[in-house]
This record gives sequence, structure tokens and C-alpha cells, in this order.
Amino acid sequence: MFLTQKTGKMEKILTVKNIFVGNEEIKILRNINFEVRKKEIVSIVGESGCGKSMTLRAIIKLLPKNLKILNGEIFFENLKITEYNEMEKIRGKRIGMIFQEPSSYLNPLFTIGNQIEEGIKENIGKKEKKEKIVKILKEIGLSPDVYYSYPHQLSGGMQQRAMIAMALINNPDLLLADEPTTALDVTTASGIIKLLKDLVSIYNLSIIFVTHDISLAKYISDKIIVMYAGIIVEKGNSEQVYNNPLHPYTQKLINCLPEKYSKRERIKTIEGEVPSFKNLPYGCPFSTRCEYKKRICEEKIPGEIVIENRIVRCFKYGNIVES
Amino acid sequence: MKSILKRLKNKNFFSYCSFWIIIFLYFLAIMADFISPYPYNKQFRDYPLCPPTRIHFFDHNKNFHLRPFVYEIKLVNPALNQYEIVKEKICPIYFFVKGEKRKILGIFNSERYLFGTKEGKIFLFGTDMHGRDIFSRILYGARISLSIGIIGVSISFFFGFLIGGISGYFGGKIDNILMRLVEIFMMFPAFYLMLSLRAVFPLNLSSFQIYLLIVIILSLIGWAGLARIIRGMVLSIKEEEYVLAARALGVSTFKIIFKHIIPNTFSYSITAITLSIPGYILGESTLSLLGLGIQEPYPSWGNMLSVCIGNLRVLSSAPWMLTPGFFIFLTIICFNFLGDGLRDVLDPKNW
Repeated sequence: MFLTQKTGKMEKILTVKNIFVGNEEIKILRNINFEVRKKEIVSIVGESGCGKSMTLRAIIKLLPKNLKILNGEIFFENLKITEYNEMEKIRGKRIGMIFQEPSSYLNPLFTIGNQIEEGIKENIGKKEKKEKIVKILKEIGLSPDVYYSYPHQLSGGMQQRAMIAMALINNPDLLLADEPTTALDVTTASGIIKLLKDLVSIYNLSIIFVTHDISLAKYISDKIIVMYAGIIVEKGNSEQVYNNPLHPYTQKLINCLPEKYSKRERIKTIEGEVPSFKNLPYGCPFSTRCEYKKRICEEKIPGEIVIENRIVRCFKYGNIVES
Repeated sequence: MKSILKRLKNKNFFSYCSFWIIIFLYFLAIMADFISPYPYNKQFRDYPLCPPTRIHFFDHNKNFHLRPFVYEIKLVNPALNQYEIVKEKICPIYFFVKGEKRKILGIFNSERYLFGTKEGKIFLFGTDMHGRDIFSRILYGARISLSIGIIGVSISFFFGFLIGGISGYFGGKIDNILMRLVEIFMMFPAFYLMLSLRAVFPLNLSSFQIYLLIVIILSLIGWAGLARIIRGMVLSIKEEEYVLAARALGVSTFKIIFKHIIPNTFSYSITAITLSIPGYILGESTLSLLGLGIQEPYPSWGNMLSVCIGNLRVLSSAPWMLTPGFFIFLTIICFNFLGDGLRDVLDPKNW
């Protein structure tokens, strides 16, 4: 709604509808709803263990063995991923993925060129494949020599760039970035962020960017999704979410940013911990740490409330209960 | 391959040398028909327990001969096997000398051999009690002793990879059943299992049947431990993040197994292969030593040694009978060095 007005980009590329992920005992994701449009960067923000990475892995259907999608639908363009069984044709070709720790996501035994090459889905000769790889390496900001390098010979930033090259070799429409900068130092990380932003226009790419860092999310993305304990607590335009957070959790997250404090001040943290999935509170999952806690918070899970083109799930803004 | 050798040379010169020694030994074994001066079963009745022949360049008058020569030797005391050199009789050594007709590599007939003497005898490592040339027998014995290692290792690695790979990758019930089977094999002490398996079969088999039997027995013992290790490696590698990344990249399951999982076990398994070959050579030697392996007159390093056992006179008066033992030692130590070197070299993190 708001985004279409702002940027004029209409076409939906990914629609996640009421997704539940888990098994008989635990539910990792509950009622996840969002959509990604063409050339849009969507960030998913939250603490560790909120189910951010699981959301990505549910989209590409690479969940750990003991978890599965229990309910809901995921559409990639018009393809219903949740009922599609030939994911090999989609992975890498239409949806690329990059990971947190590039060094462990690259096979140590093979050269970068060799590993990028195995992702190429087109039926072309060896020479053309190599040309293609060298071209993409240049675009990504690596020297063509990297083709012959082994992963351990590269620095963390170069490895992450190589991973990006691997993910983009087939010109996918959607890139899933699972905390791609967490393991990198600040300068390298900003290089990668800038690269990702540039790639959006070069490759007509949409990105789902998972991060802990809400200020980074605001910088990179059009839309921010804040997750807590497997549910989306707030979702909306990134400027709005960052400058005027509605959900108490988002407010506290932003309050934790070091740049909000002067030198002598003590940085506030959110007290308590993310509840474990085996031991979720009965009502709103954030109720254990929330200062606005009311009685209803412990009894019911809040439903989606639309405020200023944003969606927030909190009883502070009205008593809408999740159906 | 070339770059591996180059790295081996720079990294571990010992194992680089071992590699070439092993190649040389295999070459000797293959070309045994051509290199050995006499057939393995040729008995020189006049020369039992003859000591190694010395090769000379200077005769007893201190005259230099460009062509190396041996003196003719004569048995002087048949009871004590004492020999004497006939100083007048000089027998020069020639290349490509004419000898008995033999088939080379089982394909073509030849009368000429790499080296030999026209008159007199040349026994580089002496002779055994029946007057057979030990050098020739070692070359022929190498065929059995060296090939048993390679064939046995390939059979047991085939089963090790297959069983270990299946149970590691699929896990669950299959894993449980296969691993219990492996444990049954590992439970028995290898040596007694080997003996009892051999005892099940009759003794009067042809030498080729015995050869096959030994290979099968040895690899039957060898595969279990390997399967267990491969399974463990596959179990851990399939959880590696680069396997997940490959799946996210849309690589097929088949390609993942053969490109990401199996090659990552190589750093261990190639080393294990080279390190387990000596076990097979020793196993064959042990069986032959106990008279259960390759039967006379066919030579293997093990059964050549077995003649010396229990014969103290041989050990004290004819120590050259122990040369096969030296070759077993050489092969095993070379394979061990090579395995050590390969382990360092094959790990890309060390490049």
C-alpha cells in the first residue's frame, strides 16, 4: 500500500501467507505474513533466536530435518512454493542465498571458480562458463584471479563477495541474505552493504536482508519487519519504523543502539531473554519483558493492527486478538 | 597429479623419495620376466645356499676391466655348503644376454634378459636351499606381495565407501543395521579371523585360487573399520554449512554426495589407503609364513621367509635368505612415509 504509493513498484515477487513452522512439540514461526516486491529490500530484524533465519530457510525450503512448514502458503511470483517439489530448479536459479559465515559456507577443497561454476544452470560450454564467472567476479569487485583461489586464501570480505557471486550467477530475482555482514569488520561490511544496494538496480533484484542491527536495516532497506519469538511484531516502511517505533520491542531495540547515548551514559539493554521455543508464554510472547504489560497480554496473543500504513501487534493500540 | 608430486617434493622429501621407490618396486614386479636372470623355479642343484655373487671391476692381478665381471664359483664342501672362487675363470656380465626361453608379461616370447653372464652364474642375493636364485624369486614374489596390497585395499575401500557412505548419508534404521554388522566383523581379533577363514577352505587349491582367497580374506577383515570411519565422516560432513550452501545453490543430491561429501573424506581416506597397504602385505606374508598362503614353488615374500623360520642353520650361515624381509620392510616403510606426506599435501589449507 504505502510502498506502491511511494516508489510505484507494484509487482509482488514473494508472498508469505500465514506461515507456521515447527513440529509436534514446538512452533518456531507463527503466522508470518509479508510480501516482497520487485527491486525492494526488506529487512528482518530481531534478536538471536527470533526465527529470522528460519523464515529465510522456510522460503527456500531448506529447513532442518526436524522442522517443517505446518500451515500457510508461500508464493514465489505465481508458483506455490509450499506445494512445489522440485526446489532444485528454483534454488540458485530464481532465489539465491548468502550466509553469515562465508568461510564455512564455502567448500575448502575447491577453487572459487569451480564452486561458482557448479551453480550455473544454463547449458553452456566450459569457456563461456568461465567468461561468465570472470564477468560476475569483476562486477562484484573481485579480481579475476580469485577464480583460481581456494576459499582459505581469501579474506572474509572477499569470501562473502564470492558467495554473492555464487548466489547471483544465474541472475536470480530474489536474494536471501542471512546476516551477511555479521562476521565481517565494519569497513568490509559497509562495502558489502553498498554492493548489495548497487546490485538491486543492476540485477533487478529483490533482497530479504536478515540482521540484528536495526540502524543498518533502516539504512539498507525499504521495509523493516521486526520479529520476536517467531511472530512479526511490527512491520512497515523503514523510516517510519525507525523514527517512530510503535511496538514496545522495537522501541527497546532502538533504545539499545550505542549511537543514542553520550560517552558517560550507560547503554540500556532489554532485560530478560527471548523465551525459548519450548517454553513460550501463553499470551503475547513479549509480555515477559514488556513494561506496558496488561492483563490481556498474558492471556491472548495480539492480532494485527494497522496504524499509519504500518502493522503492529500490541494490545497497547487496541484489543484486537489473534484469530 | 604433477602439482601434487611437486608439493610432495618441497614439503616432505622423504615421502617424495618413497613414492619413487614404490614406483620402482612395482616396475620391477611388472618386468620381473625380463629383469630376473633366471626363472623363479629354476633349480641349480650344484649351488645350494650359495652366497651372493660379488661383482668385480678389478681382477686378482689388479687389472681393470671396463665390463664388470663375476668369478666362477665352485662348491668345495657340499656338507657345509662352502664355496670357493675360481680365480682363473672370469665371467663378464652382459646386457641383453641370451637365456632360457620365457614369456614376458605373458604376451611375447623372449630369449634375452636384461643382464646375465654367458658362463658361470650370477646370484645377486645368493641362492636358497634348492639352488634357486633369490633375486629372481624376489622379483616374482613382488608380483604377489605388491599386488595383494593394491587389490585388497581397493576391494575393502569399495565396500568401506559403499557401506559407510550409505549408512552415514541415510542414517536411521539402515545405519543401525549396517553398523551392527560392521561391529560383528570388528569384534573378532583380525589374526584369528584370518586363520579360521583360511582353515575353512581346503589346502590343496591352485596357487591362483589361493591368491584370490587371500585377497578376499584380507579385504573382508579390512573393510569394517574403514566403513565405520567413512560413516562418521559422512555424518559430520553432510551437516557442514557448505553442503547447505550447495543445496541453497540448487545443486542436486547426487552432485552434493560426489562433489562435496566424498572428496572431503579423501584427506583421510587417501592416507588411510596408503597406510593400510602394508597391513595387506604383512597379512599375506603372515599367511604364507604359516604355510597357509602361496605355496611353493611359487614365490611370495612371505613364503620365502617362511623357509628360514625354524632353521637356525640358515639364519647363521646363510643370512641372505632373509632379503625378502628387507623388501617387506622397505615397501612398508615407503608406503608409510608416502601416506604421511600425502596427508599433509592433500589438505588444501597447507598449500
